[in-house]
Amino acid sequence: MRVYVNDQPLELLPGMTVKHAVLRAGRLEELQGGKKVYDEWGHEVGLDGALVVDLKLYVR
Amino acid sequence: MKRFLFPAFILALVLLAPVPSPARQESIRILYVNDFHGFAQPHRPGGAPAPLGGIAYLDAQADRLRREKPSLLLAAGDMLQGHNWANLTRGKGVVELMNAMKFDAMVVGNHEFDFGQEVLRKRLAEARFPFLGANVDGFPGLKPYLLKTVGGVRVAVIGVVTPETAVATHPRNVAGLTFRSTEDTVRQCLKDLRDQADIFVVLSHQGLPADRALAQKVPGIDVIVGGHTHTKIDMPVVVGGTIIVQAWEHAKALGVLDLLFKDGKVVWFNGFLQEISPAAGAPDLQVEKIVAHYARQVDQSLSQAVGKTQVDLDGEQVRRRETNLGDLVADVLKRATGADCALINGGSIRASIPKGTVRLKELYNALPYDNYAVAVRLSGREVREALEHGVSALEENSGRFPQVSGLTFTYSPAAPPGARVREVTVRGQPLNPEGQYVVATNDFIAAGGDGYTVFAEALDPPAEGAGPEDLLKGPRLVFSDPSRWLRDLVADYFRAHKKVSPRVTGRIKLEVD
Repeated sequence: MRVYVNDQPLELLPGMTVKHAVLRAGRLEELQGGKKVYDEWGHEVGLDGALVVDLKLYVR
Repeated sequence: MKRFLFPAFILALVLLAPVPSPARQESIRILYVNDFHGFAQPHRPGGAPAPLGGIAYLDAQADRLRREKPSLLLAAGDMLQGHNWANLTRGKGVVELMNAMKFDAMVVGNHEFDFGQEVLRKRLAEARFPFLGANVDGFPGLKPYLLKTVGGVRVAVIGVVTPETAVATHPRNVAGLTFRSTEDTVRQCLKDLRDQADIFVVLSHQGLPADRALAQKVPGIDVIVGGHTHTKIDMPVVVGGTIIVQAWEHAKALGVLDLLFKDGKVVWFNGFLQEISPAAGAPDLQVEKIVAHYARQVDQSLSQAVGKTQVDLDGEQVRRRETNLGDLVADVLKRATGADCALINGGSIRASIPKGTVRLKELYNALPYDNYAVAVRLSGREVREALEHGVSALEENSGRFPQVSGLTFTYSPAAPPGARVREVTVRGQPLNPEGQYVVATNDFIAAGGDGYTVFAEALDPPAEGAGPEDLLKGPRLVFSDPSRWLRDLVADYFRAHKKVSPRVTGRIKLEVD
């Protein structure tokens, strides 16, 4: 399924999580530096959160 | 006489007219959690400075808030599975504590199916609250909705779960089940319940984007209490006249939504997330006892033997060379997926297992990550590219170093990275660059972990302008089972074989130039 991390489109598998998406985007290490993951409406999301089609995530 | 009759008549009408009753007004509270995943004890996510969560602390807050006004306590799915605390009793401990906490209802999440339907039926039978799933066909016992009067207000709670459940877990877990459209289901339920409730709540496990879409498309929903995306909605949002809430994850927050019901509708609301931690107050002692009881059971389970090994299982050298433990884990992965071969990152193995009795604890220490099995169709060229990547950072003792099954390869450390791999065989035959191979790995690698982009790129859709040979290759994803951790597959292997003595078999060889 297609999701977006910081506007970068990525293909991931059903059952994968926010953490997989951030890993795929090459941004996992940024989380160790204190950044968090947010959805397009500005809500923080947990790393174990499910991915859904066209989900837009932002690491900041 | 007539002069007195008319005013008397008017007076009589005034005296006998019914007194208008004050407008009906009730205040109720909805408390909600979602995606608990068995995180019963306080924990430090991502290296947090202080522990967060703890279900006994959450229950103490829920009790305090329930005493303030008539309330409902709802769970928006994915409660029974996740952390060892839940997994090692297959959710039994979770149901026991939800009973003690007096939940009013839970919608099933996609992960509720991960232990299989038979286990879910057992959990459902043990629960003193209904499991909801209005859009799930084929699972007797699931109720479509709960009808309850709270503080004089008739509340309907309709439960729906994402139809993606059908593909988010292993097919055997959802065999015979149909997951219908949540939109059509809710529309029908609202129609059926029109005269039976004052307030309509959808308890949803489909994620915030789908909740927002549902609110826009289906009029008549007062509140959507959501889950699945682990979203921290600090203050309720309103979409299409519907209030939408979600309480993050892992018992780190308890959602609170107050509604004022007047003249047949919700006229006011206020909501917030009560963040949960040991620092915020005392725990509920009854729930704390249940948590401690099952924590002891988890310790006992971890101390149980799964088998014996007649040789030391090497988890130390996995970043440098083939080891017997690396071989064993890769073999289990290959067998579980039916793949031609398997490749995992040595870094997924974190400890050795000494000769003798193998307890579950040792296995979990060796394989601590929540990895699951994936199998992808790769070309021979892509298999070689993966192996090249695996041996490209030898000097760094990198976790990317591969452990393999069903394939052999030689490599030359003296050659430059990207050009180190020499001969490769799969199932005893030389690797054909144009051939197609089903390669098993773990989800970390499949998502591009340790720099293994070839697996993730294999799952990308064909590029624009791709030729027919690309489009006709067939699906690249062959297997994915997020419902079982790889370490549990390895535990099953030990239980089945009872005694193992794996040896290094020369799958990975150095070529000295």
